[in-house]
Amino acid sequence: MPHTLPQALLRQAHTRGSAVALRYKRLGIWQVRTWSELAGDVGELAAALHQRGLSGNDNLLIISQARPEALLLALAAQWLGASVTLLDPEHDNRAVLAERRPSFVLAEDLQAVQQIGEYRVLIYLDGRGLNHPHAAGLIAYADLSANAPAPACATQSSALAFVFHAGTPVQLSHAQLLAGARTLIAREHLTCDEEALAARVFAASGQARYLLAPWLHAGFRLNFPEALATRDTDRRELGPTLVLGTRESYGRLEQWVAERLPLPGTFSHRLYRWAMQPTPSPVRRWLGRWLVRRPLLDVLGMSRLRVPLLVGPPLAPRSAAFFGALGVHPGHWHEPSPRHAPTDPLLSRTA
Amino acid sequence: MRAPTDSVLLRLDDISLSFKGIKAITSISFDVKAGDICGLIGPNGAGKSSLLNVINGVYHPQSGSIRYAGRTRRRMRAHQAAEGGIARTFQNIALFKGMSVLDNVLTGRNLKRRSSWVEQMLRVGRAPREDDAHRLHAEQIIAFLQIHPWRHVLVGTLPYGLQKRVELARALASEPTLLLLDEPMAGMNAQEKAQMSQFIRDINHAFGTTVVLIEHDIGVVMGLCDHVVVLDYGRKIGDGTPAQVRANPAVIAAYLGT
Repeated sequence: MPHTLPQALLRQAHTRGSAVALRYKRLGIWQVRTWSELAGDVGELAAALHQRGLSGNDNLLIISQARPEALLLALAAQWLGASVTLLDPEHDNRAVLAERRPSFVLAEDLQAVQQIGEYRVLIYLDGRGLNHPHAAGLIAYADLSANAPAPACATQSSALAFVFHAGTPVQLSHAQLLAGARTLIAREHLTCDEEALAARVFAASGQARYLLAPWLHAGFRLNFPEALATRDTDRRELGPTLVLGTRESYGRLEQWVAERLPLPGTFSHRLYRWAMQPTPSPVRRWLGRWLVRRPLLDVLGMSRLRVPLLVGPPLAPRSAAFFGALGVHPGHWHEPSPRHAPTDPLLSRTA
Repeated sequence: MRAPTDSVLLRLDDISLSFKGIKAITSISFDVKAGDICGLIGPNGAGKSSLLNVINGVYHPQSGSIRYAGRTRRRMRAHQAAEGGIARTFQNIALFKGMSVLDNVLTGRNLKRRSSWVEQMLRVGRAPREDDAHRLHAEQIIAFLQIHPWRHVLVGTLPYGLQKRVELARALASEPTLLLLDEPMAGMNAQEKAQMSQFIRDINHAFGTTVVLIEHDIGVVMGLCDHVVVLDYGRKIGDGTPAQVRANPAVIAAYLGT
């Protein structure tokens, strides 16, 4: 039984090494990493971090959107026994950064780098716009390498795994995460065949609890969209069986559909209303499903959805009615999962 | 004629152009060094766009010569310019509005194809390999200019600022040595201008592409360009670094104001 998240990763690599663990899009093409490849990557990153002085007592601070590189580096830090603080890049984190004075930082891009004051090692994913990308302590993620074997994987289950600062600070240990994962897997009957979409992995503690930890424990596939703005298109392409959302994310989809509905009074709109209303008639239900509801689920990328999860506050009544009519009933988890509302009008960017 | 130096990519020597007796450009000469960002500024009707059209062979000057990449020509022909590594964008966006962003960018790769039309039609021989290579290159440009969220969207449905970026992507897809940009920031707000300026700077740094651009926003030109040429009524009235141009009394009088 694994005691830490990296140990869960190693167990998956041992038991189903050739199965796909991670899928992400690069230059418009889906790329895959198997569990054994992933374990190798994380081990190499752990060695590179170890060489740069990261140890079990340290904390790696990450300011990034959901990107596989950020996930791998978080696991590498935890491999060494260090904890990981996750900050939302869309938020102004200067106050938290000034208070914490992080030594080891992963920043996604120039905007994130600019928020950071002092640091010992700053790893960046996208160096565009950096004036001195080769300054002391600054290193590109792509250049992270070590000429030493991976150090031993930390085993202390009580060690801190993640720290969140979105709203109320939340600290999660490996033991808490793995226990929560086991509960979720049992309740939702999650298997290694699930396809999960990680659109906002690092925005909320709930994502770590109910997506990352179950992924490592159950061994299903975790899919990363190409970018936050392409998540709807990517969801449509993937057809995930497991999604984890907040009231805001489900509401955003409902609003996205509402904005694209046919004009009231038209035949198409009347057909939509007819198909979405609950009815005891099996014929009407069947027709409504094939004429409207199933195509709509396809457009939303939810036609294969088996486990819709909701963290944080319950859905707004309108969203609940909409998804209920489509047969999507998000399982409600009462644990708080604060996240910041997106600052950009993403709907307009994902048409 | 001045002796060309190795670092000069483009030299215009005594270029004059007129349309039915009306002089658009009068005896203009200047050099553009390889790797520079050169700004062409001047009031409306100063001859900036005409000069850009002369450089890429759309207009043929009545006198003067163009030296590009070590070869001097009396006149440049449009296809020679494209084959020689000159790409451009237009003042009024000239995209295929009914095609997707990706397909528009792929049209910028047409000159790089070596397979015959038979191979392409039947998708045999060199065609499949070329298709993959061109798609990869187009995707790299799309990622570089951050237009991937709209990869499969019809260009005609995109906002103006994004269409400008798609046009830049199409020009960049041909791997140009010299990139001509005709008012790339026209109609943009301050934020969009800053973003486009950064993209142009990044293109210049990442690919080493020499850029000649026309822009009316003096602040943008002075911040972005290594070298500025000022035109007025078809004549050159200033040529130098942004600081030199800013201090040039003729430029101040004609264009910059007090």
